[in-house]
Amino acid sequence: MSEPNAAARKRVFLYIPTTFLVLFFVLPLVALVVLSFWQTANYKIVRDWTTLNYVTLATESAYIIFFLRSLLMAILVSVFLVVVAWPIAFFIVRFGGRYKLIFSLLLAVPFLSGEVLRLIALQGMLGPTGLINGALMRLGAAPLRFIMYSNSATFIAFVYLYLPMTVTTIYLSLLNFDLRLASAASACGAGRLRVFSEVIWPLNLSGTMIGFLLSFIPTLSASLAPRFLGGPNGTLYGMSMAQQFGESGTWALGAAMGVVLVLFSIAALVILSLGVNLRRTGFTGMER
Amino acid sequence: MTDTSAYIKIDNVSRHYGPVKALHNLSIDIAKHEFIAILGPSGSGKSTLLRLIAGLDRPSEGRIFFKGQDVTALPPHKRGIGMVFQEFLLFPHRTVRENLAFPLRMTQETPAKIKDRLDWAEGILSLNGLMDRYPNQLSGGQQQRVALGRGLVTNPTLLLLDEPLANLDRELRQEMEVEIRRYQKQLGIPFIYVTHNQEEALSMSDRVAVINKGKLEALGERQEIYDHPNTPFVARFVGRATRFDGVSDGTTVNIPEHGYTFSPSAPVAAGRVSVFVKNERFALGASGTPGIACKVIDVVLRGPFVEFILEAANKARIIAVQPKRPDMHAIGAEIALTWDANLAHIFPAEA
Ligand SMILES: Nc1ncnc2c1ncn2[C@@H]1O[C@H](COP(=O)(O)OP(=O)(O)OP(=O)(O)O)[C@@H](O)[C@H]1O
Ligand SMILES: [Mg+2]
Repeated sequence: MSEPNAAARKRVFLYIPTTFLVLFFVLPLVALVVLSFWQTANYKIVRDWTTLNYVTLATESAYIIFFLRSLLMAILVSVFLVVVAWPIAFFIVRFGGRYKLIFSLLLAVPFLSGEVLRLIALQGMLGPTGLINGALMRLGAAPLRFIMYSNSATFIAFVYLYLPMTVTTIYLSLLNFDLRLASAASACGAGRLRVFSEVIWPLNLSGTMIGFLLSFIPTLSASLAPRFLGGPNGTLYGMSMAQQFGESGTWALGAAMGVVLVLFSIAALVILSLGVNLRRTGFTGMER
Repeated sequence: MTDTSAYIKIDNVSRHYGPVKALHNLSIDIAKHEFIAILGPSGSGKSTLLRLIAGLDRPSEGRIFFKGQDVTALPPHKRGIGMVFQEFLLFPHRTVRENLAFPLRMTQETPAKIKDRLDWAEGILSLNGLMDRYPNQLSGGQQQRVALGRGLVTNPTLLLLDEPLANLDRELRQEMEVEIRRYQKQLGIPFIYVTHNQEEALSMSDRVAVINKGKLEALGERQEIYDHPNTPFVARFVGRATRFDGVSDGTTVNIPEHGYTFSPSAPVAAGRVSVFVKNERFALGASGTPGIACKVIDVVLRGPFVEFILEAANKARIIAVQPKRPDMHAIGAEIALTWDANLAHIFPAEA
């Protein structure tokens, strides 16, 4: 009697996440794809199938520049974040002792305010009369131009926005990591660098990859940070996309940009997960 | 000048964690061909001692010498040791072959040498057919052998073993005990073997160091430690023993709770004493003869031995171990319990 029952229960448990995925991910995506093959004229949708939007995106230099700028930004930000987050997470896990929990909760504090609020705060810090440049000028020094409404300012904003997330993912990965494996490696004759490169890094690679993607994907499609801080030469792809849906009313083109972003995000995911042999990161799946 | 001639010398080593004295003024000299067991209850500082010898931790005080050289400040990878952990700690992302090759790669051995040593380990530890598996595809005993191999492939100065058999079942444990002892004799390097299991310590080692609360309680040949414990702790901890509270008048010892008096071979200082008798050294005489009158309330068969669970007149439980014989006492039998006065260990009662 219990056999079919268990199978039925298993099916129900599979249905729940599947339904969620279809409702909240697949359906909107399908709508986006459909829209991207239509046209918009005079703030109205024209339901004629066409690939014109994609042609525009692939040929007009402005969109190509926006895209390359976004891609470069996302790569730089994510690599920088991983490099900075690793030592922070490692030191919390290794030396945090009983304050570990407090440290990890502190990482969540920025999430208590909205993204817009945090960007406005940052604008106040970095702007021409902001905290940093204001202080510099009062001391008689020249203001730092590169942090005023520039791609550097946007970079700083992304680092500021996503650092807690990257630290948290790597922190969680390290928390699950058995540090005694590092002792075992030392006892096997490995110096500090080898202990890191042979044991600690590979065994936390999947966590690191997730941390990377969690900053890469939102940076790639970000629209708010460049709008607040990017200045005249700081337009990013996501920001341009938001404008299509807003001021310019070219929704179909915006939808095509959205599809491009989704495709590139999926590509990043696939490339990273193909590049990582889970087995070699200590992932054992269901067995034991 | 300290004498640093011993192969391994642990000289007055202490390790304090804040107010916790995990180890206190501990000294042990270890000879080249020795199998030494570090025996102590949980939390006595055994792992701490091993970590200090390995270099995974530094002593608060004291020095450690390998072959006359002071290694106290050396990091683990410069000490040339092998180590086997209780939880095995194999690298989960590496195959058996890669796990075994790891220490060899760290010492920059040539590929030919690595292959040579891997073949040696595969043979001596019977790992044939397992070399390309991952650790989680191995049984506990197989993982244990790989861990042992990983500790031994580099021909280390000494091998440190931290309760390597604790996670194995009884049968396998006894098998591995014999194996490990055989490897040690074959390789001629010291094995320092940490355990809280006195049977394991006695079955494998040449000498036993008993530690309790971070202090060295006893250090000696295993037979010596077993037959002539020098402290009440050792008498209680090594072997299975029963304790009686007694009163000595200088020549005889009386055990008031059982109304039994015996005369030890050597004189004992007058006063309150603790008497320890190893469970297998009890003699079960016929009821009515001199001794502690007891009733057999249960009989437990343990292979070639029998455990008699006895109950004295005051309801105290005593366990006596005897070789198994066809004509043994049955449950419910009345007997008189005695012991050879020379084999009882008598200490002044602890305050
Ligand atoms: N890092 C540490 N910080 C504080 N106290 C510690 C630390 N490591 C060990 N101790 C303490 O030192 C004492 C000895 O610990 P140790 O691990 O050496 O015991 P052990 O004899 O190996 O015990 P077990 O048989 O349970 O493994 C214990 O009281 C333990 O709580
Ligand atoms: Mg221990």
